[in-house]
This record gives sequence, structure tokens and C-alpha cells, in this order.
Amino acid sequence: MKSCRIGVYICSCGTNIAKAVDVESVRTYAEEQPDVVFARTYKYMCSNPGQEMIVQDIRENNLDRVVVAACSPRMHERTFRKALQSAGLNQYLFEMANIREQCSWVHEDPVTATVKAKALTRAAIRRVALHEPLENLTVDMSPRTLIIGGGIAGMTAALELAEAGHHVYLVEKQDHLGGNLARVDLTAPYLDSARDLITDRITRIRSNKNVEALFNSRVTEVKGFVGNFTAAVKNINGGSDNPARELSVGNIMVCTGYKEFDASRITHYGYGKLPDVITSFEFEQMLKRGRIMTREGKTPQYAAILHCVGSRSQEFHAYCSRVCCMTALKYVHELKSANPACYVSDVYVDMHAFGKGHEDFYTRTSEVKTLFLMYEKNDHPVIRKADPKDDCGMLIEVNEKLSGEVIEIPADLVILMVGMEAREDSGEIARLVNISQDKEGWFIESHPKLEPVATTTDGIYIAGTCVAPKDIPDTVAQARAAAARILGRITKGKIDVDAVYSEVDETICCGCRICNNLCPFSAIEFDAEKHCSHVITAACKACGVCVATCPASAIKGRHFTRRQIFAQIEGLMSPA
Amino acid sequence: MAIRVNPKLIEDLTSFGAADVNMCYHCGDCSAVCVHSDELYRFPRKSMRQLQMGLGEKIDTALEPWLCYYCGQCSDQCPREANPGETMMSLRRWLINRYDITGIAGKFFRSKKTEILTIVAIGLLTAMAALTYHFFRGSIHVYDGENAFLPSLLVHLFDLFLGAFLAVILLLNAGNMWRLTMLKGKEISIPWWLYLKEFLVLPLHFFTQIRYAKCDTGNREKPYMPWIVHLGLMWSYLTMLILVMVFLPFLQSGPQIDWSVHIFGYLATIGLATGLVYFIRSRIRMHYVQYKKTHATDWVFVILLLIITVTGIFQHIFHRLGLPVAANVTYLLHLMAVTPWLIRMPFTKWAHLIYRPLAMYFSEVRRSAVALEQKSEVSFRPVLQTI
Repeated sequence: MKSCRIGVYICSCGTNIAKAVDVESVRTYAEEQPDVVFARTYKYMCSNPGQEMIVQDIRENNLDRVVVAACSPRMHERTFRKALQSAGLNQYLFEMANIREQCSWVHEDPVTATVKAKALTRAAIRRVALHEPLENLTVDMSPRTLIIGGGIAGMTAALELAEAGHHVYLVEKQDHLGGNLARVDLTAPYLDSARDLITDRITRIRSNKNVEALFNSRVTEVKGFVGNFTAAVKNINGGSDNPARELSVGNIMVCTGYKEFDASRITHYGYGKLPDVITSFEFEQMLKRGRIMTREGKTPQYAAILHCVGSRSQEFHAYCSRVCCMTALKYVHELKSANPACYVSDVYVDMHAFGKGHEDFYTRTSEVKTLFLMYEKNDHPVIRKADPKDDCGMLIEVNEKLSGEVIEIPADLVILMVGMEAREDSGEIARLVNISQDKEGWFIESHPKLEPVATTTDGIYIAGTCVAPKDIPDTVAQARAAAARILGRITKGKIDVDAVYSEVDETICCGCRICNNLCPFSAIEFDAEKHCSHVITAACKACGVCVATCPASAIKGRHFTRRQIFAQIEGLMSPA
Repeated sequence: MAIRVNPKLIEDLTSFGAADVNMCYHCGDCSAVCVHSDELYRFPRKSMRQLQMGLGEKIDTALEPWLCYYCGQCSDQCPREANPGETMMSLRRWLINRYDITGIAGKFFRSKKTEILTIVAIGLLTAMAALTYHFFRGSIHVYDGENAFLPSLLVHLFDLFLGAFLAVILLLNAGNMWRLTMLKGKEISIPWWLYLKEFLVLPLHFFTQIRYAKCDTGNREKPYMPWIVHLGLMWSYLTMLILVMVFLPFLQSGPQIDWSVHIFGYLATIGLATGLVYFIRSRIRMHYVQYKKTHATDWVFVILLLIITVTGIFQHIFHRLGLPVAANVTYLLHLMAVTPWLIRMPFTKWAHLIYRPLAMYFSEVRRSAVALEQKSEVSFRPVLQTI
């Protein structure tokens, strides 16, 4: 093996490392290792002077490998790789030893901590000697986008992309656009018409030739990887012999929305048995028809709204559905404006008025003399038919929290604020595009705070209520965010592929296909002609599952070769 | 057994002054800031809740409204402008109505027209009676003695008759209050001897209004001011009532001043005038939250008392100055105001003179009963219900 020239840099990280590790002793130890030209210590290696020191050393002393013993590579690997690049050295000829998170922070005894720091540094030195220069790849991509779901999220994203000049396929299961929002009358808290929100978008989509809306359609198969997906779309009205249409797209956006909770699952609310116990969506229908009435056609004197139906409960869904509280207040206004003499009771668990304008809306609702009654989570009210001598149709028994009394509320009409839940076909969609779901069935984002619309599969984005319950502004914001992410990639025109990925040696691969199914990113294809597996470089995340699995050792993980890993282990285990 | 919610009740309470109750979202700031709210009597939040929900029976049997002197701190602190202080005030009006077995109180509170017309009618009837007597017997030029325009003995008899009427009605209403608050509203058994044990509470609060002194007035005025003025007004009123009811013939003698009797009259007049000026000025200036909303019956109360005081002062002066005609005319005007005033006493705000000390007394009896009960069992109350 040809010898190399390694520079080792040991960071004190202020006192973060130096307080437990004797950095000077690590330095002298590192200098004794084979191929090490010299080792240096510095207070903050990640600082500009620290980086400049490395760059200068590479140039002046012809270093061809660098080891930095400092913090976690998640923290500063990128920083030091850049330093290598600016000195004209390939960025992969670098290795980091984590002597902070995995050493100084977790050990109290300076002697043993220093021994461990030496071992970690030695392991990095052994490994880096075997590093090879690697280059990142770029591949072409399709500028077209597939959007699954034609609700407010799908329509908004489609317009955003189409109006920027890019082709969009908008696949909708139903025969019309609008999704769940099309079932709503007014919106909270400003009492704007939902129809106005939707029709504007539908008109713009119709007149935009960049959007191809496919109605009564489902996506049946997705293949490929970021930038180069192929999706099969089938018309569900056409029968089984109907051929699927193949679409080539660069990115896919999933905005399949939610379905409402089935209120008949809660037996003591009497939904389905008591005719005047209705769900919020049934009430929306009533509002759209223009007349609020009981099943017998009477105007209700007493109306009651029951919150958290299916939400925030032990038995059903633990989460809050976020939109019901404000929708309920909207109903109060709609009930009162239809009949000012109507007594409205709002039976809630907690009033969640978190959004812009929501608190004002709650105050305005109090002003119209709404009777707010509070019940304890999981201590559900019971609805029953009233006696004929009562002046109301039903009575709701509630253990009222703010008075401490068990009360019964008169009601002629009870509106159940049904929560949101994941659609029954969400599992199917998740498998189709290879994304994960949480235990409630909602799609999981790549990072809940920093990557709210991306998924763990590159090129697949999620937005709106298929991710979690949310209101219209949040849904629209997510749709636009996802569209912006996609536009950014389309503008770039190429897909960057990290140099670290798996490679199959076709001369060794026997075509057993074990790796094909194990790959969590669907990044391995089978070439039937050659009878061997093939890694789609752009889709591979270098997790190493295939490398470890291959019974013939035909797969190599670039930058994680067997020799590199074993050298590192040897470095770690050999006596000091 | 579940209690039926009655959303209609609050509409009725609106005519008693409860306007902003629905704004309350039960943060409990009002109960936290109130010096009188304690473990057993929790208000105003709880009263607000009962009112919002229209729990009629709970409201009618509650003593809490009488434990509040309306310092206004709760309304000051309320983040929702739900005005808990005013709500307690309206509940007191409501309770005066509920205790009243004749149903007249409710009519007065609900309609100021009814109240004012009744006062005017009684005033005119009084005048007619006096003038009829004058037609047969008395002379407008004579103030005192046999041929007097309004002989003090006759007026004295009339007063005693009115006093008896008052006493009967008040007694019946107080009995009704006891029935509602101590029998109907009881959650525990109250042994009879507790009424004896706590009896001193009644005169204590009647004569000292000592709880009022504990009210927190913030930085608005000296903490003892409203209490002192209110106490002065009550003492003056009581003195005057006794003078008129018991010593009228001595009071009306003259024209020379009989200091042994009149000194009390002068002191009482000073007290009444001071109190009236203080409270009328406050209601006009509306500088403290408790004076911002004045119910029609409150205005009638102070205005009528002002007329009585002013005419009383003038008829006294005219009599001493030897002006019998002027004295007789002002005296007639005085009686025209006094008669309706006395008749409507049990049906209006005035009745709190009796109900409030009674409520203090009953509340202490209940407290003792609860203490007795707790000796045998440890009670647990969820935190939320303690405010």
C-alpha cells in the first residue's frame, strides 16, 4: 500500500473537550501513528483561523489526508470537507473522530477519557488512509409534477406550478375538484363563503393549459426515483380492462386530505338513532340548502353543539382536529343569524382558539349570548329523547366542569363536531409512493419542524390534511411550500446525487434478489436480461442494508468499504 | 339527579341589571381578588356560572350575593369585561324579588314606569287624604295643636299603621328568605341550636357592617370611606325612622327647639345629607366601576330620599321661623314623598337593610353546620371548583 501524508487536528472546543481529555497527550500520541506527518491542537478548530490552519497545512506540507478529532460529524463534517475542497483536496479524503459527544461529554474521569479519545483518533487515522477520492453525480430530471388529490391543497399547488410554466397532472378520485372544502358553507372566523374560495381556483385551473386534471382517476403504481418517476393512472369508471396511463414526472405531491369521524361509533350520542342528532357535515348541507330545521321540519328553539366528537379521547383519537372549535363558533353565528331567538349551547372540552382572528371570533360569539358549557375529556355527555311534557326534543346530560354540577341541556337539534381522521386508502397511497404513516395513519414528514412538507423519499411531498388535521390557511401554506420546493428543483434542472451510494459488482451478483425487497428506498432494480440487481444511484441513501445482506458480498458501499470499516475497528481495538 | 339548564332565565335577569354575564369565560380572577370569597362561599365566579346556566334553584337559595358589598375590584380585574360586581348587584335585586311573597318587588324592578306611577299615585292619595281632612277640620294657617293642618297625633297614628304594615311584610319576606336559603337550599342538616350559637352575628352586622370595612377599594379612595359613609347613612336613617315612628309628637312640637329630641334629628339629617351627596355624586361622576351602572330603582331610591330630606329640613326651618303656611306646604310635600317611600320599602333595594345581616347570620349558621359535618368526614373538592 502506498504511503500517505496525514494531518491530524485535535480540537479543545473551548473547555468542552479539554476539560475531560488531555488534548496534548492525544496530539503526541497521534504523531506516533504511521503515515501521520504531524498533529496539531487548537482551541476552536471549526473557527475561521482553525480552518485556515488546515488549508495552509495541506498546501505547504502536501498533506493528502486529514483527520479532525472534535465534535460529531453531523455538526461540522461539512465545514471541514469544504476546507479540504478549498485547499484543492478531494473532500472525501477526510475523517472525523467524535471526541466530544461520544467522549468528553459522557466521561468524567480524564484518564480513561483520554485513552478513549486516543483510540477514536487512531481509528480515524487508520480509516482515512484507505479513503478514496469520490465525485458527486448529477442526473437529468423531468420538470412535470404529479399531484394526487384535487382539494384546496392540490388545486393551490397545481396553480402555483402551472402559473410558473410547468406541466402538472392533477389526479382526482371524484368527478369534481374542491375536496372536503366543497362540502362546507361558510368558513371561520371571517365567515367567507367556501364556494368563493374554490370556484376561483377551479376557473383558473380550467383555463390553464399547463394543468391536466384527471377526474375519476387513481394512481395505481409509482416507479423510479426523484426526478424520474413513472406513475400509472387509471380511470376508476372504466372497468378493469381500462388501460392505465403512464405519466413521467420529476416530483410527486400527495394531498389526499381526510375523512370525517364516524359519529355512530360513539353510542351514547345516539347518532343514527335520534333523528335530530346530526354531524357537522350534515349541518353544512342544511346551511347550503338554506334552512335550519329538525327532521320534522320545525325551526329549533334550542340548539346544542357538541365538540371533540372522536377527537381528544382515549377510545378514538388522542389528537385535536384543530378546525372544529372555530367551526362550532361559526355555527353559533349561523344559527343566531337564521333565528335570533334560538338558544345555543356550546358543549366543549377546551376552547382552542389558537389562530389569527380566532380569539376575537370567540369573544364575538360570547357577545351573542352563547351558553358555553365545559365537560371533562373522556367524561362524555349522554344524549336522550326528552319527555313529551318538556319543551324540547332531547336532553343532553353533562357533568359540567365549571359549575361542578350534573346538568341536562335542552336541545331540539344537536350538532356533533366530528373530527378528522386519515382516509381509509391512506395506507395504500403510502405504499405507492413509499412514505411512512404514524399510528393514526397520517403521513410522516421528513422533519416535523424543519421539513414539514418533505418526506423521507426524495421527490415525494405531502401537504394539507393528509399530514395531520389543519385549517385552510395552514393547508394552503403547506401546498405553496411544497410547490416552492418542487419549483426550486425544477429551476435547477438536475438532481445532485451524493457520491456515497451502493454499487453492485455484476460479475459477482448471482441475482438472488434478496436486496431488492430489503431496500427501504426502493432503490434496487432487477435487470432480468443480465440476471443481476442494479442500484439506482439517485434513489440510494447509502444506508448499507443491501451491503450487509448480500450473501455473495457483491455489493459495495462507496465510502463505507469493508476495508475502511475493518481498518477503523482495528484502530479502535488495538492496544495503545 | 341532573339539574335542568334554563337559558331563558338570564333574559329575565337582564331587567335586573345583569348584562355582560355571557362574556365570562371562568378564569376565576374575580373570586381570587375578592376578600370575602372563601372555601365555603365562593363568588362571584360561581354565581356567574349559575346565572349563565340559568340554575334557578341554585340562584334562589344562594347567600353569596349578600356577602358581597360591591367594592368593584372583581369588575376592575375582569379580563372579559363581564362585570361580575354588577352581576352580584343584579342577583341581590333578583333575590329581593324572589323573597317577596307579594310579587310587587318584581314588578318594580322589571318596569320603572310601574314604580314611578305607583309612587306618584300614593303621593297624590296622601295629598288627597290631607286635603280632605283640611276641608272638614284643619287650617292651613295652623301648624300645631287642635286645628292644625296636619296634626302630629294623626300623622303619628298613620305612621304607626304604615310601620305595622311594613313589619308584617318584612317579617313574611324574611321568613320566605329563611325558607329558601336554609330549608330548600340546604345540603346538610342544620341543628337548631346553631341558630342560638351564632345569633350575635345578626346584631353585629346590622349595627357595624363590619365586613364592608374589609372590602378592598384599591387605590381609588381611602379604604374605609365607602364603609363609613354607608354606615353613617344607615345610622342616620335608623335614627330618623325611630324619631318619626316613636317620638313624632315631640319632634313636631315647637316652634322652640327641644334639644333633647332635636339634637338627634340634626345629627341624623347631617348624616343623611352627607351620605346622599356622596352617593349621588359618585353615580353622576361614574368614576368607580360600581357606580357606572345605575338601575332605575337606584335612582328612584336616592332621588326620593333626597326629596324627603330636603322637604323635611325646610318644614322644620319654616316652623321654627313661625311661618305656618310655608311649613304646612313643605310638610305635605314631605309626607307625599314619605308615604310611598315607606310603603315600597320591603319591595326595593331598601330591604337589604334586613336581608344582608340576615344572610350574614344564616351564612355563619351554615358554616358552623359544615364544620360539624367535617369533623366526621374528610371532604375533597376539585381545585377548579374552589374559585
